[in-house]
Amino acid sequence: MAGPGVDLFQGTLDMLILKAVSWGPVHGYSVARWLQETTNDVLRVEEGSLYPALHRMEAREWIVAEWGVSENNRRAKFYRLTPQGRKQLRAQASTWSRFADAVGLVMTATSQPA
Amino acid sequence: MAETWRRYLRFWRANVEQDVDDEVRFHVEMREREYIAAGLSPDAAHAEALRRFGNVEDVRESCYRIGHQRERRMRLGDFLGSVRSDVVFAFRQLARNRGFTAVVVLTLGLAIGANSAIFSVFDGVLLRALPYPGADHLLLVWEGDRFSGTTREDASVPDWYDIREQNHSFTAVGAFEEAPLTLTESGAEPERLTAGTVSHDVAGILGISPRIGRAFTAADDTPGGARVAMLSEQLWRTRFGGDPSVIGRVVHLDDEPYTVVGVLPAGVAFPSEHTDLWVPLQQGPTSTPRYNHTVKLIGRLRPDATVASAQADVGAIAQRLEAAYGANKGRGMTVEPLPDALFSPVRPALLVLLGAVGLVLLVACANVANLLLARATVRQREVAVRAALGAGTGRLARQFFIESLLLTIASATVGLFVATFGLRVLVAAAPADIPRVGDVGINTTVLGFTLGITVIVSLGFGLVPTFAALSLNLQHVLRTSGRSASPGRHHRRLRDALVVAELALAVVLVVGAGLLVRSFWTLRRVDPGFTADNVLHASLQLPPARYPQSYDNFPRWTEVTSFYDRVTQRVRELPGVRSVALASASPLEPGFTNGFTIEGREAESAKGQAEISTRLVSPGYFATLGVPLLRGRLLSDRDGTDAPLVAVINAEAAKRYLDGDDPIGHRIRFWGQWREIVGVVGNERFHGLTENAPAAVYTPLQQTPTTAVTLLVRTSGDPSLLVGAVRRELWSVDGNLALFDVGTMRAALAESVARQRFTMLLLGVFAAAATVLALLGVYGVLSYTVAQRRGEMGIRMALGARRREIVGLVLRRAAALAAVGLLIGLAAALAGSRVLAHLLFGIGALDPVTYVAASIAIIAVALAASWLPARRAAGIEPATVLHGE
Repeated sequence: MAGPGVDLFQGTLDMLILKAVSWGPVHGYSVARWLQETTNDVLRVEEGSLYPALHRMEAREWIVAEWGVSENNRRAKFYRLTPQGRKQLRAQASTWSRFADAVGLVMTATSQPA
Repeated sequence: MAETWRRYLRFWRANVEQDVDDEVRFHVEMREREYIAAGLSPDAAHAEALRRFGNVEDVRESCYRIGHQRERRMRLGDFLGSVRSDVVFAFRQLARNRGFTAVVVLTLGLAIGANSAIFSVFDGVLLRALPYPGADHLLLVWEGDRFSGTTREDASVPDWYDIREQNHSFTAVGAFEEAPLTLTESGAEPERLTAGTVSHDVAGILGISPRIGRAFTAADDTPGGARVAMLSEQLWRTRFGGDPSVIGRVVHLDDEPYTVVGVLPAGVAFPSEHTDLWVPLQQGPTSTPRYNHTVKLIGRLRPDATVASAQADVGAIAQRLEAAYGANKGRGMTVEPLPDALFSPVRPALLVLLGAVGLVLLVACANVANLLLARATVRQREVAVRAALGAGTGRLARQFFIESLLLTIASATVGLFVATFGLRVLVAAAPADIPRVGDVGINTTVLGFTLGITVIVSLGFGLVPTFAALSLNLQHVLRTSGRSASPGRHHRRLRDALVVAELALAVVLVVGAGLLVRSFWTLRRVDPGFTADNVLHASLQLPPARYPQSYDNFPRWTEVTSFYDRVTQRVRELPGVRSVALASASPLEPGFTNGFTIEGREAESAKGQAEISTRLVSPGYFATLGVPLLRGRLLSDRDGTDAPLVAVINAEAAKRYLDGDDPIGHRIRFWGQWREIVGVVGNERFHGLTENAPAAVYTPLQQTPTTAVTLLVRTSGDPSLLVGAVRRELWSVDGNLALFDVGTMRAALAESVARQRFTMLLLGVFAAAATVLALLGVYGVLSYTVAQRRGEMGIRMALGARRREIVGLVLRRAAALAAVGLLIGLAAALAGSRVLAHLLFGIGALDPVTYVAASIAIIAVALAASWLPARRAAGIEPATVLHGE
C-alpha cells in the first residue's frame, strides 16, 4: 500500500460500511469511493476486502442487496441498511465514540501518573 | 421497478458465482474508467485498478463461500417453512373432521396397542437373552426309556458320574434336582421354599458368579458335607432385607442349621422360575442305585463340540452303560439345548398370538385405508384446487404423508396407553408357568417395534390419497364443482378389494379362534378320572431331623406313620369334612415311576418293560377323590405296616400288563418286594387332561411311607373355607411345618389347562375385534354405494322398481363381497391352520364343524352390516331425488 495511511482495526470496517450504506442504496464501488473521499484518502483499505464484509453482513441480515442499474447504465448490486443493521450501526457508533473519547482524554492528559 | 422484479429473482435459484463475478468486474471496471479519465493508459489503468482491489481470487473465494452458506440456509428455511405450513394445514384438516380422526385414531390405536402388548410378552419371554453367558452352549442331558417311549426322564446319580468321566463334549456336567424345604425361624410362620439342589459345578457351568459371598466348592458337595446355602437375589431382598451381613448367618431349613455362604445374581431362575435358594447336592457315585432316576443333568459344550457331536457322544455312553448294567436296559440318552427346553413349550402359542394380532392390525389398516379413500372422494375439490395452483405430485404426497404421520403418531400414543394397560391385564391373566412372564414390560425394544409399525403404517396410508389424487381428472372435478364427481371405477374396486381383504382376514382369525374354542371345549369335557369338586389339596414336607427315614428299617418309620394317623384323624373330625386322604402326589401331579415285574409275566419283564407310575396313598384316597373301584377291593385301614403287602392297580395297567387275566391275586414286584394285587380302579390322568392316563399302581402309605405328602380333603361345602381350620389342626400336631400349594382341586384342574384357556381367550378377542372391524368395513362400503347410487335408485323406483328390488341390489352386493372374502379367507385358513396343529386337542386343524360355523358367522356379519344401508336404500323417495337432481 503506497503512501502514508492508517490500517483499520478489526471490525471497524464493518462499522464504516454500515455508515456508508446508511445513506440509501449504494453499490460496493461507491462505498469505496465514499470512504476514500470522506477520509481524504487516509484510511487505506484494499478495496476487495469490502466485498466479503458486505456479503457477511448481508448473510447476517444487517443489510439487504438488490440488483439494479448504475449511474452509467450497468447492472450493479445495491446495498441498503435493514432495521437490524441500523440498530447495529447505532450500537457500534456509540461504542466507538466512547472509545475514541477515552483515548482522547488519555492522549490530552496534563497530569502524570502518580 | 427493482422492487417488483426482485421478487421474481428467487424464481430461478440465485447463481452465487455469477453474481460475485459481476459485482467484482463492475468495481474494477469503474476504477479503470476513473484512472483512464485521469489520463492513464488503458493497460496501466487496469493494472492500477487491480492493485487497489487487492487479491481478486481471495475476495472471490470468500464471497462464494459466504454466498453458498447463505443459499443453503435459505433453502433449508424455505423447506422447514413449507413443512410447517403442511403440518399446520394437516392439523386443521384433522381437527375439522373430528369424527373421522377419532375413528381412525381409536381403530389404529387399539390395533397398535394390542400389537405392542403381545410383542412385549414375546420379547420378554422369548427374545430377551438368558442371564447366562453363552447360553446356546448349555445342554440338558436327558435319559429316556425305549420301552415306554419316554424321552425326558431324569438320570441316575451313577449314570451322571459315568457321563462326567467318559464324555468328550462338555467342559463339565453338573446334576441338579428341585426339592421343597421349610424355612423355620423363631417368631415367624414356617415358610416353604423351593430349593435347587445342585452339584458344586452348576454355577460354573451356567457361567454365573455370586452377587456376594461365595459359590459352592467341591468340599461342600460331598456326601455328609457342610450344610451351606446360597440365597436367590429375590429371597435375599424379600426375606433378609438385602442385608450383606447375611453371609455367615445360620438359617434353619427342614430343622437343620444351614450357613448362608452366598447370594445368587439377580435374574437367575434355575432350576425353575420360583427357585428360592441353592443347597449342595452332596451325592457320591454310590449314594443311590442305578435304577433310581433322581437328577437332571446340565453341561456346557466344549468349544470344539456341537449339539450333534454331543448327542453322538452321550448316545455311545448310554450304549456302554446299557451293556454293562441291567438297570440301564432300554435307557437311552439325549441332549437338548437349555433355551429350547425352557421356551419350546410356549413358543408355538406366542407365535400364533403374535401372528394373529398382526392380522388384526392388517384388518384395522384396511379399514382405515377405506376411510381414507372415502375421504379422498370428499376432498377431491380441495386436491384439485391445490393441483391447479401448481402443487406437484411430490408436494401433494408430502401433504398426505404428513397427515397420515400425524394420525399414526396420535394412534401410536393411544396404542402405548392401550399396551401399558393391556399388558397389565395380560400378565395378570397369563398362566404362571410361562417363563419370565413376571418381567415383561414396555422397554426400548417394544418402543422401537411400535415406532416401526407407526412409520410403516403412515407411509402406507400416505399412499392411499396420493393414488386417489393421481387418478383425478382436474378439469372435470373443477367444472362440476367436485360434488357429484364419481371417484372412478378403479377407486371403487380398490375399496371393494379392501373390504374383501378385511373379510378374508376375519375369516382366518375366526377359524383359528373357533378351532381353539372347540379344542378347549373338548379338553374340558375330558374325564380326569377323579371328582374335582369340593376337594382341598395342600402339600407338606416332613423334615428328616424330626421324622427319621432310614431305609434300614423301612417301612417302620414310626414318627412318620404316626404323624399320618394323627393328622388324618384331626382333620377328619373337623365339621364339614367328609373324608381325608394323604398321598405321595395330588392326582394332577405326574409323581414318580418305577421299574416292576408281574408274577407269571417275568419273561416280558426280562426283556425290559416300561416303568409304572407309583402312587403311595392312604386308604381314604379313593373315596376322597371319587376314583371308582372296578374289581376286587380298595385299600383299607387293615393294610398296615405289618399286614401282608398289597397293591391296587389302575385299569390301564390291568389292560396293558395283564390283558385277558383277572389281575386279582397276581403279584407285582418293585422296590425288592412282592405285593398282592387286591383291586383294580379307574384311570386318573396324572399328566393332565391332554395326556392319556399312564399305567399306575397304588400302595398303602403305611406300607410305603414318604415324607413329601399331599393332604386331600373332601368337604360338604366350599373347600376353600376350611383352609384355616386344616392349617390349625396341622400345627396342633406339628407347629413347625409349612403347608404349601394349598388350593381346591377344581382350581388346580382349571390351572392345568390355563395355557390353553389363555391362548383361546386372546385369539377369541382378536377374532372378535377383526370381525367387528370387517363389519364396519362392509357397512361403510355399502352405505357409500347407497349414497352414490341414490339418484340411480330413485330413477329406478320412479320407473316402477319395487323397494324389494332396491333392497335386493344392496344385499346382492353385500353377498358378493362376503362370498369372495369368505372363499379367500377359507383358502387362507385351510393353508394356515397347520400352525395351530400343536395347540389343538381332540380335533384336527381341518375340523369341518369349525369351518362351517366360521363361514356362517362371517355371512351373518356381512348381512348384518348391510341392514342399515338396505333400509336407507328402501327409504329413498323418488320424488325428492328427482327434484334434487
